[in-house]
Amino acid sequence: MKLAHRFRALGALALAALSFLAPPAFAQDGDKKEGDKKDEAAKDKKDEKQDEWFAVTGGDVYTGTGAVLRGATVLSKNGVIEAVGHEVEIPAEAKTLDATGQRVYPGLVAINSNGLFGMTSGDFADSVDPYNQRMLLALASGITTAGQSNTALKLKRRDIKNVVLRERFLATLSFTNSNPSGKLEWVEKFDRAARYLREYRDWEEKKREQKDLKEPSSSGVDSTAKAILEGRVMARFNATRRGDLLEVARLAQRFGFRPVIDGCVEGWTVADELGRAGAYAVVTPRDRRDKEEQLVRDGGSSIENAAILHRSGVQVCVIPSSTGVDLGGIAGRDILHLPIEAGFAVRGGLSDQAALESITIVPARLLGVSHKVGSLEKGKDCDLIVLDGDVMHYQSLVQYTVVEGKLAYDKSAELFYAHIRPRPSDQLAPEARQDKGESDEKPAEGAGETPGDKPEEAPKPEDKPEDKPEDKPEDKPEDKPEDKPEDKPEDKPKDG
Amino acid sequence: MTILTTILTLAPAIGGVSEPSGGLLAIKVGRAETASGAAIEHAVILVDGGKIIEIGADLPVARGIPVFERPDWVVMPGLVSCYTRLGVDGRAGQVFSPEASPTPEVQPRHPDYKEVLEAGVTTIGLYPPGTGFPGHASALRPHGATLSEMLVEEAAYLKVYFRANAQTKKQVRDAWAKVDEHDEKVKKAKEKFDKDSKAKPAEKKDEEKKDGEAKPAEKKADDKSKDFVPPEADPKVKPFLQVRDGELGMLVSIAQAADWAHWVDAIGERKLDFALRVLMTREIDLFEVKDEIGKRGVRVVMEPQISLVPGTMRQRNLAAELSASGAKVAFKPRNDTVDDHAALLRHVGELIGAGLAREVALKGVTLEPAAVLKLEKQVGSLEKGKAANMLFLNGDPFEPSTQVMAVMLDGEFVSGEVKE
Repeated sequence: MKLAHRFRALGALALAALSFLAPPAFAQDGDKKEGDKKDEAAKDKKDEKQDEWFAVTGGDVYTGTGAVLRGATVLSKNGVIEAVGHEVEIPAEAKTLDATGQRVYPGLVAINSNGLFGMTSGDFADSVDPYNQRMLLALASGITTAGQSNTALKLKRRDIKNVVLRERFLATLSFTNSNPSGKLEWVEKFDRAARYLREYRDWEEKKREQKDLKEPSSSGVDSTAKAILEGRVMARFNATRRGDLLEVARLAQRFGFRPVIDGCVEGWTVADELGRAGAYAVVTPRDRRDKEEQLVRDGGSSIENAAILHRSGVQVCVIPSSTGVDLGGIAGRDILHLPIEAGFAVRGGLSDQAALESITIVPARLLGVSHKVGSLEKGKDCDLIVLDGDVMHYQSLVQYTVVEGKLAYDKSAELFYAHIRPRPSDQLAPEARQDKGESDEKPAEGAGETPGDKPEEAPKPEDKPEDKPEDKPEDKPEDKPEDKPEDKPEDKPKDG
Repeated sequence: MTILTTILTLAPAIGGVSEPSGGLLAIKVGRAETASGAAIEHAVILVDGGKIIEIGADLPVARGIPVFERPDWVVMPGLVSCYTRLGVDGRAGQVFSPEASPTPEVQPRHPDYKEVLEAGVTTIGLYPPGTGFPGHASALRPHGATLSEMLVEEAAYLKVYFRANAQTKKQVRDAWAKVDEHDEKVKKAKEKFDKDSKAKPAEKKDEEKKDGEAKPAEKKADDKSKDFVPPEADPKVKPFLQVRDGELGMLVSIAQAADWAHWVDAIGERKLDFALRVLMTREIDLFEVKDEIGKRGVRVVMEPQISLVPGTMRQRNLAAELSASGAKVAFKPRNDTVDDHAALLRHVGELIGAGLAREVALKGVTLEPAAVLKLEKQVGSLEKGKAANMLFLNGDPFEPSTQVMAVMLDGEFVSGEVKE
């Protein structure tokens, strides 16, 4: 009886998992959200007074779900997003961060990483080093969640609590043509597990009538294969060549699970098959691989790989070729260049939106944490980054990184970054700026640049030192042309 | 005048008892760095029976009391090196042995002891080697022919070697869980005792029979009939009980900010009195948590060394930063060698040059390390009633050109040209 219960629960889990894996880019994993809400409600009752509010105001919010909300507000309560949008009421006690004229993205997710949590291997909860430099550098490049040793971890600077989000969500299987016996073994394991699950389901149904029916034996059933078929764990394969990719796709289709394929360099040659198998591809757009010369068909790497895979329905996740923080060797290919790597996928034809997803929500799904991170939606963790331009543009610098509603990185305060293209002084401290509300600078500047917008625009700054936060969203569209001249060159490339 | 009379009355009484070397002596020097309070110019220190019995500026000295007068000299309390393996080998183990002592290893008459004593170190804290919980440290005088002559305090502090990893963290949690277990045991025994003492003696026996597993301690309690004797703690648990009850200090060795965070996490809500031993590496990141350390008013044992912000050449004076944020700083020599013991004052002087407050520096080599050894009432400053451990210098203690002229240990000159 207990087992039956557990199995049903697993079934429900698998369903939930399937629902958020479903193709339309962003899953509405309703069950989980409701659960979260309940948790929140419980939390609220416990410590109503200690609610921590945090708001990022005035920025162009790229939610990651496809929407771009110009001059919108992201409000977080106790580290969880409470609201995203315009006309959000900000509690008086909230800490605010003015992102006017800047872009707000969800915190980036790196599916693999190395060394960001200190010199530790496993046991992250008891050994994470939240002060180490690599974590700071990763936060400075926009990463707020990363996978290491098959564990999804949050980059919480100066905090060791609740760092581990999820463990062992991916199971790596060796399934390549170079290891035929291993391949056969896995086919048998899946076969056995599938048979068992079928028998179990039958038994559950028949049991209602025949109460003394014997439960099918689970002896000899591989637990990993079973977990994969139940959707509790995702199967991860390393495959770069066309032949291996096809094998993985066939295996996945035969047993009905969605494979995660690392490498996938020649994926573009068999994108249709991979798409039909519902595959996820973890690609490095700058990977280079020569075609095997003796073969007539397509092969080798292609800059278009990510774009073609995405077009065929494969969910693409991007990761740089080195997953550590690497200051030697070929520069610009380490984990700090995660968004730049995604930029190369854009160069190969991937849409901006899909490229953003490839470093946010897709890796979040692969780590099994898409219900918490990967996009800016109500109920998710308030992990976001504020940049002075497009996240994938080489010229953009992360100005602020927020993790669970707390400022984890402020460029102007960091020894390594403060001096690089420093923010204009009026953007350094939001408070200082508000104090200067009545100063002469702003109106004069606006008047000079965009005379057309001026008439309604000019009076406003003068009479609103107090209610500035609320006014900002409305200001935003007109504010755009007023932006500092430096912002403009950055705007051009991303539009083009 | 009152002082004069006290001296006069004291003199004969003590004079009879004391040995020639430890007898009444008046010391007149140009300046006394007391460490506990302000420096005293033209200081007179009256020593008797190995202790300071009076200290002040220009005190009158009764006739007949021998006077040791050096108007150009500066006197300060003898240095305290509270964390050392001097004279014993450095091998470390991984055994969980909180009850272990380092004293069996000590070889009295080891030349190192004599040399550091001549350099001005009058108290040393010898710690047990190893990771996790290797045992307690002992406080010694670096002088004497036998261990008992050297020993000042057998159990000075419990040494904890803590690094941010699952294994050490578990060890800490388990250790305190054992303390809770013991407390529970004591509580139950007490309840039982109370119940038994209320009940009639005959019934008491019956109850015991039923239980079968009556503890020996309770039997004892029965024998004594009235006094409650709590069950004896396991020797591996006892040191933790002593720490909790404030009988034993605790020194936690860490090497980075993350270690601090995990240590705080491992001890949880427990209110423990502990000091920190910070291993000063070149690029230590402990400044990240200086405010948290300061807020707890923790005493930090560290090397006098300038560190760098990781990944840069930007210098930081961690000792000054820690002390500014409320922590207390105790210095230990940079390396566990005689030379570095001798260079301790100079090295600390470098930190003063880099912004460390002078009085913090002075306490950092005397009173604070003494407090780590829980000897702050006996040694570490020039105060009435404290041991006459003194270091005589020919100038400011932290000037590089200053030399040690003489050293006094428990009222006795142990080095220097002091013949009149």
